[in-house]
Amino acid sequence: MSTTFSVETPQVRTKKKDRFVVSTMKRLLKNKLAVVGLIIIAIQVIMALTAPWITSYDPATQQLTKSELPVMSEGHILGTDNYGRDVWTRIVYGAQISLVVAITAVTLGLLGGVVLGMLAGYYKKWDAVIMRFVDLLFAFPGILLAMLIIAILGTSLINVAIAISIWSIPTCARIVRGSVLSIKEKEYIMAMKSMGASDLRIMVKHILPNALAPIIVFATMRMATAILSTAALSYLGLGAQPPTPEWGAMIAQGQDYMWTSPHLTVIPGIAIMLTVFAFNVVGDGLRDALDPNMDLN
Amino acid sequence: MITLIVRRVGELLLLLLGISFLVFGSMYIAPGDPASMIGGPTATEADLENIRENLGLNDPFLVQYGRYLGNAVQGDFGYSYQTKQSVADAIAVRFPNTLKLAIASMVVAVVIGLVAGLISALRHNSWLDFTSTTFALAGISIPNFWLGALLILVFAVNLQWLPVGGLSEPFYTAEGFKQLILPAITLGTGSAAMIARMTRSSMLEVVRADYVRTARAKGVKETKVIWVHTLKNAMIPVITVIGLNFGFLLGGTIITEKVFAINGVGRLMIDAIAMRDFPLVQGSVLLVATLFVVVNLIVDIVYTYVDPRIKYE
Amino acid sequence: MKKVWVLFVALIAAVVLAACGGESSSAPSQTNEGGTTEAGGGEIEEFVYASTSDVAGLSPILTNDSVSANVQEHVYETLFERDTDTGELIPSLAESYENPDELTWIFKIREDVVFHDGTPLNAESVKYTFDKLRDPATAAPRASLLEPVDEITVEDEFTVKITTKYPYGPFLASLAHSNAAIVSPTADQAQDLMSNPVGSGPFKFVSYTPGDQVVLEAFEDYRDGAPDIKKLVFKVVPEISTAISMLQTGEVDFIDNLPSEQIARIESIQNVDIEKKDGTSVFYLAFNQSRPENQDENFRKAVAAAVDRDTFVGKLNGLGLRSDSVLGPMVFGYNESKNAAGQAYDPELAKQLVEENGYGDRTISLLTANRDNFILMAEIAQAQLTEAGFNVKIETMEWATFLDTARAGQFDITFLSWANLTQDGSEMFYPNLHTDNIGSSNRAQYSNAEFDELVDASRTSVDQEERLNYLDQANGLLLEQNDVVVMYHGVVTGAMNSEYTNLILEPNGKWTLKDVTRK
Repeated sequence: MSTTFSVETPQVRTKKKDRFVVSTMKRLLKNKLAVVGLIIIAIQVIMALTAPWITSYDPATQQLTKSELPVMSEGHILGTDNYGRDVWTRIVYGAQISLVVAITAVTLGLLGGVVLGMLAGYYKKWDAVIMRFVDLLFAFPGILLAMLIIAILGTSLINVAIAISIWSIPTCARIVRGSVLSIKEKEYIMAMKSMGASDLRIMVKHILPNALAPIIVFATMRMATAILSTAALSYLGLGAQPPTPEWGAMIAQGQDYMWTSPHLTVIPGIAIMLTVFAFNVVGDGLRDALDPNMDLN
Repeated sequence: MITLIVRRVGELLLLLLGISFLVFGSMYIAPGDPASMIGGPTATEADLENIRENLGLNDPFLVQYGRYLGNAVQGDFGYSYQTKQSVADAIAVRFPNTLKLAIASMVVAVVIGLVAGLISALRHNSWLDFTSTTFALAGISIPNFWLGALLILVFAVNLQWLPVGGLSEPFYTAEGFKQLILPAITLGTGSAAMIARMTRSSMLEVVRADYVRTARAKGVKETKVIWVHTLKNAMIPVITVIGLNFGFLLGGTIITEKVFAINGVGRLMIDAIAMRDFPLVQGSVLLVATLFVVVNLIVDIVYTYVDPRIKYE
Repeated sequence: MKKVWVLFVALIAAVVLAACGGESSSAPSQTNEGGTTEAGGGEIEEFVYASTSDVAGLSPILTNDSVSANVQEHVYETLFERDTDTGELIPSLAESYENPDELTWIFKIREDVVFHDGTPLNAESVKYTFDKLRDPATAAPRASLLEPVDEITVEDEFTVKITTKYPYGPFLASLAHSNAAIVSPTADQAQDLMSNPVGSGPFKFVSYTPGDQVVLEAFEDYRDGAPDIKKLVFKVVPEISTAISMLQTGEVDFIDNLPSEQIARIESIQNVDIEKKDGTSVFYLAFNQSRPENQDENFRKAVAAAVDRDTFVGKLNGLGLRSDSVLGPMVFGYNESKNAAGQAYDPELAKQLVEENGYGDRTISLLTANRDNFILMAEIAQAQLTEAGFNVKIETMEWATFLDTARAGQFDITFLSWANLTQDGSEMFYPNLHTDNIGSSNRAQYSNAEFDELVDASRTSVDQEERLNYLDQANGLLLEQNDVVVMYHGVVTGAMNSEYTNLILEPNGKWTLKDVTRK
C-alpha cells in the first residue's frame, strides 16, 4: 500500500499536486486502450447531455403499429422495439440513466467506504468493530444483498443505486483504512496533532488526499461494476420501472425477441459492453499511471 | 497455523451471527407476507392468520430470532414455508450442483486468466498484449445473462454441440461434462478477466524487481527466469484474486443457474426471497458466507507455502 | 490460448449470427439428444415436460398452485371433471349423484378403483380426504372449496352423503377442482404426501428432486389401461427461452403457457407442433374503489375509453381473445351480448373527459407485478393513458409485495388476472369482487350491494338456468360502470414435439398427458 505522493508540508502541496495531475494525465494519454476508453466515455456523456437534440422521438412514446422494425428502417436508424419505440432514442436516453445510476451508486458507496475506512484506520478502538462489519458485508453474496435491499425498499432505480452502493462499501473501506494506517504515524501528522489540529481536519485535509489515488481508480472500475449490476438486477425484474429506457432492462426485455428481432437485445448489449469496457480500461490506465503497485483488494 | 485456524473459526462464528441477524432483520421488515404466498390468491384473512400463527410469524421479532438461533445451534435450520422440507435437505440437494459449477468456472477462469495474463506480461506492449488485454476486459464487460443466452443460441441450438441446460448427470460422464461447459464459460469469463489483469500486472512488477534482474545478470536462462523466479513470486497476489473470486463465483451462480436451468443454491436463494421463504433464505446465505470465509482461510494457508516470508500471528 | 481464441471467435460469430437473424428457422438435426427416440411401437420410454417453476408440493390438500396441480392431476383423480371440449361437468371417480333436497348430495363412487399403494378407493377415502381438507388444523390453502359443507357421512362402502349449510350451486365445480382430489388414506397416515404422493391417477410417483424434477411412471393397473408414456418427467427450467431451446433440441418434449413474445420463434421450429384452445383466464384493469377519486364514474369511463384493447390484443400474436365481457366465452355465465358492453376505445372522448374534469392533475399510480404479461399491459396502458392526458406512473413490484400492496389497496389502477380453474362465473366474481373479500382477495376493494346480491344468488341457487341469468346480470353491472376493463381472455397453449400426438388441453389451462401417443 505505497503511495507515490506524500505530503510534506502544506505549502508545497498545491504546486506538487498540479504537477502530479499533469504528469498522471500525460502517462494516461500514452496508454492507447485508456484513450479509447476515454473517448467512449466522452461520447456517452455527450449523448446523455444532448439527448433531446440528437433524437427525434420520445423514449416512452409507443407506435404499436410500427413495432419490431429492423435496424436501418425509415425514420428509425436502429429500428423499434416491441412497443414501437425508437431504439436509438432509448439508447441515448439510456446513457443518461446508466450514468446517473452508476454515479449515484459509486458516490454513495465511496461516502460510506471512506467514512468507515477513515474511522477504522484513525481510531484504534473502532477498528475491530468496523472491520468486522466490513467483513460481514464482504462475505455476503453481492447480488443477494442487493436483492434483499430491494425487497425491503421496493423496486426503483434509486433503490438499485442504494443496493449497489452498499456492495462497494467493504472494498473501499479497506483501501482507505490501509492508506490511513500507512500515513497516520508519519511525523508531520503527529506534529499537527500536537499542535492541536482537530481530528476531522487532519483526516479530511491531510489523510484523505493521500488515499485519493486508489480511491479514484477504484471508483472508475466501480462504475463498470455498477452498470453491470444494474443490468443484472433488471434481468431479475428488480431494476428500472418501465418505461424507463435503462440498458439492462432493454436487454432483458429484448431477450424475449432474441430469435426474431435480435437487434433489441444486441444493441443495448453492445452499449453496455462498450461502456463497461471503457470504464475498465480507463481504470486500468489510471492505476498504471498513478501507481502500478496499487493494491485494490 | 493452528492458532490461525482457531482464530478464524471464532471470527467466522461471530460473522455468521451478524449475517443471520442481518438477514432475519431484513426479511422481517421487508414487505410481502409469507402467509399470502402460501395461501395463494384466494386465501381469506382468517386463512392467512391461521397460517401465520402456525409458522410463529406473529411473535415479536426477538422471540422469532431467538427461536431460530436456539434451533440453529442444535443443527436445526428450520423448514421451508413453501415445501415444508427441511432447510438442510433442500440445500443438500442443490449444493453439489452449485459447487460443481463454481469449481468448473474457476478452472475456466484460472486457465484462461493465467494464460492471457502471462502472454500479455511476457509480450508487454506488443499487439498480443493489446489484444489479450482487450479480450480480457471485454470478458469482464459482458452481462452474464446475455453471454449465457448467446452461448445457448450458438452452441446448443444452432450447432447442437452441447446441451441447453441442466446439470443432472455426474461430471465425469461425457454428458455431465458437456452440461458443464457453457455455464462454466458464462460464469468464468468475468473472473478470467480479473485473474488475467492481476497476473499481468503482478508479473510486470516482479520482472522489474531486483532479484530477477540479478538472476538475469548472472546468466540464468530466460525460460528459467520466467518459470522459477518470476512466476512463483507473481502468483501471490494472483492467489488472493483467485480466492476472492471463488467466493464471488459461489454467490454469482444465481444468474447462471437461472439461465441454464441448473438446480443450485443460487436459484434456491432468489426463489426463496421472492416467495418470502425466510428459513431457506437464512440457510442458504449462511452457507455461502461460510464457504466464502473458509475459501479465504485456505487461501491464507496456501500463502504461507508459496511465500514462506508470510507468517500469521 | 487457442481455447481463448476459439471462444472469442465463436462469441463474435454469435453476435453476428444473432444480428443477422436469419438462422432462427434452421431445423435441428434428426438425432434426438434427449434420448426419447426408441424404435417404433406405441410406447414412449421417456417424456419430458418443462415448467418455469418448481412444484410447491405433491399433496392436493396442502398446495394451491397451478404447477403443483399439473403434477397432481396426473397422480390423483377427482370425483368430477370437466369435459375437455364442452366444459360440462362429468363424473370421474363418482359414478352418479343425486340431490334429494337442496342441501343434500349423495354420490355413488366407482367400484373398480385402487390407489397406487393397493388400497381400494371407496366412500371412506372420500370422507377421509374431504374431512382432512376442511379441518382447520390442516390449514389447507383451499379449504374454502368445501366451506359450505356441513357434514360428510359414509352411507355404504361406495356411497357418500354430503350435506351443505346452505344451498350451494357451484358445488360440483368445486369437487372437480384439482385440490379436491382424493388421496389414499393409508398412504397419508404412513408418509408425507407432499414429497411422496399416492393417488389413483394414470401415473404413479417415482421420485422428486426439489428444484429439479418430479418423475412419474405409468400406473399399469389404471382402470382405463396404462398410458403409453412409461416415464414422465416434470422438469424445472426457470427461463422460458431456455425451455424453448430445449424443446428445439429435443431435451424437452412439451411446454405450456407459451409467451406471446416468442410465439413466432416457436412456430419456426420444425419439429414442434403448437396447440391452442380458447381459455377461461381473464386479464383485466381494475380500479381501487376504496379511493373516492376512483369511484368517479366518469374517471373510469375516461380510462376505459383511453385504452385501445383491440390493438393490445393484436400484440399478443393470437394468444388473447378480445371481449369486454368479464366472464369469457369459456366460463359459465358468459353471454354474447356482453362482448361489446363496455366503454369502447374512443381517444377523443377520453381526452375530452380528462380535460373537462382535470384528471391530468393528479398522478395515478399504476401498480403491476413484475411478470412479463402484466408489464406488457402496464406499459401499453400507461402510454395510451398518457396520450389521453392522464398522468400515470407505473410501479412494478415483486409478486409477494404486489399481493400485499394490492390487498391493502395502495394503488389507483392495477392489472389483475384470474385463471378460473372451475370455469364457473361465481368462482370469478365472489373472490375478486364481492364485499365479503375486501381485505383479502378482492383487491379492487369493490363493493356494490346489488352486485353482491346477484353473486350470492348465483352461488346459492342450484338451478343452472337461474344461475346463468344472475351471473349475466352481475357481469352487466360491472361493464355498465366500467368497474372492470377487460384487456383480454387467455388462450391456452402448448408446444409439443411433433413425434407425439393426443395432448389434451383444457380451457382452464390444465392439460393431460395420459393419452399422448407416438404419431
